[in-house]
Amino acid sequence: MLDAGLCRYVLISYGHNALSSDSLFTMLMDFAGDDAVFGHFGATGGYALAARRAMHEFNTGPQTWKHIAVAQRAWANLNPQAVMYDKPMSFDDYLSSKYVVEPLRLPDNCLVNDGGRAVIVATLERARDLKHRPAVILGLGQHNPSVQVTQSGILTGSTGARKACETALSIAGITRDDIDACQIYDCFTYTVELTLQDYGFFEPGEGESWFSGGTTGPGGRMPVNTSGGQLSEAYYMGLTPLSEAAMQIMGRCGDRQLGPATQTKEPNIILVSDNGGILQTHSCCILGRI
Amino acid sequence: MNREKTYAIVGVGYTPQGRVPGRTSLSFHLEACANAITDAGISKDDIDGLICYRHFPASSDENDLTPYLVAQHLGIEPNYLSQDAN
Repeated sequence: MLDAGLCRYVLISYGHNALSSDSLFTMLMDFAGDDAVFGHFGATGGYALAARRAMHEFNTGPQTWKHIAVAQRAWANLNPQAVMYDKPMSFDDYLSSKYVVEPLRLPDNCLVNDGGRAVIVATLERARDLKHRPAVILGLGQHNPSVQVTQSGILTGSTGARKACETALSIAGITRDDIDACQIYDCFTYTVELTLQDYGFFEPGEGESWFSGGTTGPGGRMPVNTSGGQLSEAYYMGLTPLSEAAMQIMGRCGDRQLGPATQTKEPNIILVSDNGGILQTHSCCILGRI
Repeated sequence: MNREKTYAIVGVGYTPQGRVPGRTSLSFHLEACANAITDAGISKDDIDGLICYRHFPASSDENDLTPYLVAQHLGIEPNYLSQDAN
């Protein structure tokens, strides 16, 4: 609409009283078809299916996912707005927490919270006259290779993430080496692993070594989900990663700000993802400073 | 780079989050939108496109959220309304 001149400022909004209403329970009931009889119930069941298959095909599992969950919690501990701000988490805490659907434990699951989030998009020409440093959209890509998890052949990758990322990088005219940080849709820890794997940051099965040593946490060489993400900040679908990327680019993130404050690279280019269904649909967006 | 054909995020809106009882989903949309508009430093009348993110079903005591409903309560008349639902 902006391109066609129909709009000057586009508002993108999300809001949900997920924790304090019966909405999610209604959704779970709607999800439950014949397969619920066999134990496939809700989104956690679907992602647990995919994660279990991945454990069969390559080296992954709780010893990989604990790094993702703990690193994001460390970011949340720097973010006063995060739901998990005052709740630190160790590897032991992670490994001793209860399963929701094996192999996914409670801290492998995103939060259920009340709240809302919105962003506004405008042309760069208009953005230059506004208050904040613009978070410029450098590239976009989308790929939606399946409709239902039961008909999906890509539970363990490559998902739509691979093509979506290639498209976004191509439009931006950059390579993966130019990325300073990532904000990855993290409905589950496994989603973060698989997305970064499909984006080419590491080969299947190499996630455990890639994530270990705090790669994605404060002070790490590739910060991921710096608000705490959906695992530890709050869940607003794709607007959790997108809004955090914009705030980091703008330089408004306080104690968790990328750059000297957190001994990380300056966030000149941030890769952002969203996916839907059980890994059926994927969007990739690259935001940057210019 | 063509600035008329290049786009950017210019404002972000937050709300209280976590356990915030007694609130409708609509009220969170409205608060986030109002805060994003203030944050960008523009007026609500400047908004001429509204996209409500894909969402979960409404609770039993609330109607399904549509972009029209959000626009109506914000008091705006965008040229473009859209919703991506899953």
